[in-house]
Amino acid sequence: MEFGWNEELEAFRDEVRAFLDEFDTPALRHELANRGEAAQLGPEQSRLRESLEERGWVRMCWPEELGGEGKSQWFQFVMTEEFAKREIPYGSGFGTMVGPAIHRFGTEAQREKYLPGIWANDITICLGYSEPNAGTDLAALETLAVKDGDDWLINGQKLWTSAADTASHVWLACRTDPDAPKHRGISTFIVPMDTPGISVRPIMTMSGGRTNEVFFEDVRVPSDALIGEVNQGWYIIANALDHERVWIGAGGGLRHIFDRLMAHIREKRPELLEDDVVRRRLVELELDLDVMEGLVLTNASIVAAGDTPTMEASMSKIWTSELRYHISNVAMDLLGHEGALTEEADGFAPLDGELERTYRASPIQRFGGGANEVQRDIIARRGLGLPR
Amino acid sequence: MDTTLSDTQRLLRESLRDYLANEVPFDRIRELEREGGADQALWEYLAGAGFLALPFAEAHGGEGGELTDTAVVLEELTRRACIIPFLETTASALAIERHGAEALAEEVVRGVISGAVTIAPALQGSTPANGASPRVESGALTGERRFVDYGADVTHHLVEATEDGEPGLYLVETTAEGVTAESLSTIARTPLAQCTYEGAPARRAGGAEALQFLRRAGRALCAVQCLGNAQQALDMTVEYVGMRVQFGRPIGSFQAVQHHCANMATQTLSARFLVYQSVWRLDQGIASDRQIAKAKALASRAGTEVTMQAHILFGGIGYTEEYDLHFFSRHGKERALAWGSAEECLRVAADTLDEVQPWQ
Ligand SMILES: Cc1cc2nc3c(=O)[nH]c(=O)nc-3n(C[C@H](O)[C@H](O)[C@H](O)COP(=O)(O)OP(=O)(O)OC[C@H]3O[C@@H](n4cnc5c(N)ncnc54)[C@H](O)[C@@H]3O)c2cc1C
Repeated sequence: MEFGWNEELEAFRDEVRAFLDEFDTPALRHELANRGEAAQLGPEQSRLRESLEERGWVRMCWPEELGGEGKSQWFQFVMTEEFAKREIPYGSGFGTMVGPAIHRFGTEAQREKYLPGIWANDITICLGYSEPNAGTDLAALETLAVKDGDDWLINGQKLWTSAADTASHVWLACRTDPDAPKHRGISTFIVPMDTPGISVRPIMTMSGGRTNEVFFEDVRVPSDALIGEVNQGWYIIANALDHERVWIGAGGGLRHIFDRLMAHIREKRPELLEDDVVRRRLVELELDLDVMEGLVLTNASIVAAGDTPTMEASMSKIWTSELRYHISNVAMDLLGHEGALTEEADGFAPLDGELERTYRASPIQRFGGGANEVQRDIIARRGLGLPR
Repeated sequence: MDTTLSDTQRLLRESLRDYLANEVPFDRIRELEREGGADQALWEYLAGAGFLALPFAEAHGGEGGELTDTAVVLEELTRRACIIPFLETTASALAIERHGAEALAEEVVRGVISGAVTIAPALQGSTPANGASPRVESGALTGERRFVDYGADVTHHLVEATEDGEPGLYLVETTAEGVTAESLSTIARTPLAQCTYEGAPARRAGGAEALQFLRRAGRALCAVQCLGNAQQALDMTVEYVGMRVQFGRPIGSFQAVQHHCANMATQTLSARFLVYQSVWRLDQGIASDRQIAKAKALASRAGTEVTMQAHILFGGIGYTEEYDLHFFSRHGKERALAWGSAEECLRVAADTLDEVQPWQ
């Protein structure tokens, strides 16, 4: 047991900080503030990204057979943390999730075709999993892919396909054997979004963001669009979802919300700090954040020791997603009516409207990425070994 | 950074767990509860097997180990509901060794390691003092201390007292003239005493620093006990609901029961990180009152809420004296209050809100 950082990691942390000092320019900040929903990176972000690639920092912790350097996972952790502290993104969205899957399950030719583009963010990816009748029960998906000569012919509908309007490719789960048990008849494809027969319809959400419905009508793709074996898709998806879970679990943004709340109260609402009840509620939030950090570090320790967290990853997902709601809810409550102001209430909104924005956007974290009820099932069954 | 157990810690845990499973049946705990007093046989085993020497300096005959090793041992003892002054003696002797009177340190630590010396801290707790706060004049201690864990069962008290208005720690032999310890009964049924000192011979064992360390060590290690009670109740529950059949299936296959278990496991693991982190920081000399208070608040809640939830999932059988679950819910609640309840600890954290630094 050790709860501090060794010299090597401290030195690396300094390196990352120096790197960020160089790239954290007003131009980058301006670009990030105005990037909207675009999946493509702006010029400043691309510059940062290329420089990260040059240093080999993005995949340094991946095993060598996946093109990494096999370094301890703590390097990745430290880097993610330093980027999160500055609120500068470095990942290429779903690419960090799909890239490893292609690397692991694709052919040599597929790796060469897709991976450099994914790492450079020239290939951007949306996730085509959910459907009208396949949400939490993802394995019930119905979009059909049928072999037609050397090609595959795809028909069906996806729902909630975020970034389908901006991404260059969709990572698509299809049914390839309707007669097999539902987990054994699914395959995964990577399909360019400009393939004829694909149409995208927007759906606006209460968070202010956009997601989509995507329709597939006789969409013809060559045989090398299939990643992995036919009907191996569920295994590949489960593997990739594990990545997503840890990714969602990293709730650095919540620390910033707490810090800004404290700053707002200290500057604009100091009278609140006279109230013992308010102080107590703030401490409770801080404690919740401590727990979040503890769960994240517990997970990272397990990964660094070469094991796979199962229930610990689910705990982290549940905690962080519920805290996202809780922290914004309590903070709005403490501030009273001004807590309801949005960023459009120029200059008046506390935290520039971040609290109400976080509150509105919080439900998806809880039901998405594997509903929290299912996460609790995982803790109980996979973690504690309770019977089905 | 590594939250997993080291090889040494794993070995310590396994060997002690085996010993306790074989040699300390729960009926032994029942017997001690009836008769009062601590488990002398277990104490002798711990001394003989070297468990008492773990955190102390090699120069004093100790192992020079990490304080987290001792915490792992304490958690294991808690998980068997053991009735011994392990926390009390370890924390007291460490306070003297690391921050107290050098002249006393070697004698005390060697005594502890041999098993001959046991020490109970007698500090000013949160409950208002009844009677006179202890004072020392020309080596004689006079006053009262309530809430002294194992006060009637140890060879020494380490008493917080003032001398010429300065606070300090004073070592008193409990067999000395002028020392009396009267037992108080608690929900835990573990030994607790109200102590009076009337001109008892006292040796100065440390000043403000030693006192601060003892308070911190007591609180951080008591958090380990809270955690141990929660972990034990959780593990017993998981085993039980996997077996108990109602409606034709194990109750542990019902989603509502599984979710209770998932929440208990999450609460326990959450506390685990903060608790061991504070023990580690204390050992490194980088602890803060605030951080330890937060860890204890979290552990106190786990020790209470997880153990009580266990009772709900056990139903009638867990409610009986014959079954072993009540050890952990009773100990869990008492330890939740000892060394600072969740409420007291949260007050410490709230009073020091100004110390909160932005994430950077
Ligand atoms: C804004 C947004 C963006 C999204 N982006 C994407 C994307 O890019 N790609 C993609 O593929 N999907 C995406 N999704 C879909 C998302 O993953 C699903 O919404 C999620 O899987 C839940 O499915 P559902 O909405 O059909 O809810 P349902 O499956 O109908 O579940 C509703 C609720 O029922 C309960 N429930 C369900 N099953 C159980 C169970 N076994 N036990 C107990 N309770 C249960 C839970 O409370 C759950 O929250 C997105 C969704 C939204 C809203």
